Amino acid sequence: MQALKAVWAVPALILTAFVVIGNVLSIAGATSQEAHGPGFQWKDGSEVYAKVCAFCHEAKVGPTIRGRGLAPAYITFIVRHGNRAMPSFRAGEIDDESLARVAEYVSKAAANQ
Amino acid sequence: MASKFIALPKGVSEKTFEAAIAEFGSILGQDSVLVTAEQLAPYIKTMMPVPDADHAPSAALLATTVEQIQQIVGVCNQYKVPIWMISTGRNFGYGSAAPAERGQVVLDLKRMNRILEVDPDLCFALVEPGVTYKQLYDYIQEHKYPLWLSCPAPSAIAGPTGNTLDRGVGYTPYGEHFLFACGMEVVLANGEVLRTGMGSLPKSNTWQVFKWGYGPYLDGIFTQSNYGIVTKFGFWLMPAPPAFKPFVIQYEHEDDIVEIVETIRPLRISGVIPNAIVIAHALYEAPTKAKRNDYVTGTGAITDDAVRQIMKDHKLGAWNVYAALYGTQEQIDVNWKIVTDAFSKSGKAKILTEQEAADDPAFQYRAALMRGDMTLKEFSLYNWRGGGGSMWFAPVSQARGSETLKQMAMTKRILGKYGLDYSGEFIVGMRDMHHIVDVLYDKTDPAMTKAAFQCFDELLTEFSNEGYGTYRVNTAFMDKVAHTYGPVQRHVHKTLKKALDPNGILAPGKSGIR
Ligand SMILES: Cc1cc2nc3c(=O)[nH]c(=O)nc-3n(C[C@H](O)[C@H](O)[C@H](O)COP(=O)(O)OP(=O)(O)OC[C@H]3O[C@@H](n4cnc5c(N)ncnc54)[C@H](O)[C@@H]3O)c2cc1C
Repeated sequence: MQALKAVWAVPALILTAFVVIGNVLSIAGATSQEAHGPGFQWKDGSEVYAKVCAFCHEAKVGPTIRGRGLAPAYITFIVRHGNRAMPSFRAGEIDDESLARVAEYVSKAAANQ
Repeated sequence: MASKFIALPKGVSEKTFEAAIAEFGSILGQDSVLVTAEQLAPYIKTMMPVPDADHAPSAALLATTVEQIQQIVGVCNQYKVPIWMISTGRNFGYGSAAPAERGQVVLDLKRMNRILEVDPDLCFALVEPGVTYKQLYDYIQEHKYPLWLSCPAPSAIAGPTGNTLDRGVGYTPYGEHFLFACGMEVVLANGEVLRTGMGSLPKSNTWQVFKWGYGPYLDGIFTQSNYGIVTKFGFWLMPAPPAFKPFVIQYEHEDDIVEIVETIRPLRISGVIPNAIVIAHALYEAPTKAKRNDYVTGTGAITDDAVRQIMKDHKLGAWNVYAALYGTQEQIDVNWKIVTDAFSKSGKAKILTEQEAADDPAFQYRAALMRGDMTLKEFSLYNWRGGGGSMWFAPVSQARGSETLKQMAMTKRILGKYGLDYSGEFIVGMRDMHHIVDVLYDKTDPAMTKAAFQCFDELLTEFSNEGYGTYRVNTAFMDKVAHTYGPVQRHVHKTLKKALDPNGILAPGKSGIR
């Protein structure tokens, strides 16, 4: 709670006339809906490929990338930086480890698996 | 001495920023505070015709809990460090994941990604901001809930919170997404947590079923705005209908848009056609099947003759109207007769259903969108010009034939002046139409990039001169669009900003508000 105090110490607390304010402490506590456990995490490289990459790279939107023996380092670089119309992907979306796994998967996969 | 940081927030010294970064690190852990060029690379790529450096962030914070966010805003207030909030961060053509102003810290909520509740009886969901449509889609499938999503075209990688907060749209009967939003949790700039609507009431179980709550309705002020950080988002889901009938109606001439809109408006307003329809120009659909280079040589916009050739070669109308019927087979049969009677009157329309068009790639992805399925096929648009440049020009039109024709002609004329093609569509509305034009250009070509910037600027100027406002815009043009809505609205926005965020720490510049 130490840091929360710092929040309340912020000057200019001139809000109350405008908004109905929830009680911060009750919200900080667990609600029934929050008992579902941690958020989404990728299982493996093929899951990332199927649920993200394939929507373009298996749909004639982006080029075929499987079966070309692309170097994992190259794949990783393009994923993080994007390339022309290909968007970049943030660590928040694909953590470094999952990215390494999907890069390895794409690098080794045959074209029409 | 070279700076440790790739950018700094406006008016914040390196020393002060370093102190703020250290505090962010103790709240989130060092691994969740990104500052190096390599870590920040994915936040820097945008599709806008301005140098990416203009929108480079100074840092990105990967928060996962409400408490962390409360602490982060405390630090921001203390050091006057501005943050730019993203949920899934896929705002392509509107600024992507980059902040409105160079040096802002991106607060990236992608890892805050729990599906908190899906109620199959009341048909609603409550999610955290980082949940993607795909994640929710898989969850619904796994649980075998008879529920459908409504998604924007980049469904597989975008998410309901960010899309709806920017007042985005989809293609099912729930396509006007903010209409179907119900209840938000918002961390305010002073660290307090507001639950909107019924959510403010302790023990309430009606947060996701009744939108309005008591007193002034507040959810709207947290959309397209910078008054708070949304940390939970409720919205309604459509019960899966027993039957679904997607169809496309093609017309041969550009000025047929008048007949199309006049025919479809009464069907939409009366609910015979329930979904957010699309009236797509041939050039919006062409990239799923054709290559521009096969039809155009040299610079300049594509000619009308070339467009007609594409239509012929690839079975496209000048306009392609995508819509669907939903319900029991009996309901669909009755409404299908009403629709076909209305469109058959003039003899100009070619009506196609799944029977005739199932193999057509444009029809396939449109049908997928009209049932809330995952697809990224619309990214084919970026193969048209190549080079990754795109801005959505998005003026609002009355759903009146003469108005849509006028807007189309104006847009095409101005784009043509700069050598750019009209890749346009009219979508969604009952009484309005969102006129959505992808201003496509090659960002690796400096001359075309400059032309695209000037063209977009002229589009905004000319449209506002005619009284046409845009519904949403990329971060390079937010001030300009805010200006078109006049001084009184800007003043009210600013007054609210001062009251809710006196230090201006939340997304300064969003919708021209600071
Ligand atoms: C080919 C293509 C087709 C497209 N089709 C559509 C379409 O059909 N419909 C459509 O609407 N868009 C469309 N888009 C535009 C865009 O990609 C989508 O709207 C997308 O859903 C937005 O990204 P997101 O959902 O990840 O939201 P985000 O990028 O996470 O958020 C969007 C904005 O909302 C605000 N925001 C986000 N989270 C918060 C928060 N927690 N608190 C406060 N403010 C916040 C920020 O200003 C942010 O920039 C398309 C783009 C492309 C490339």
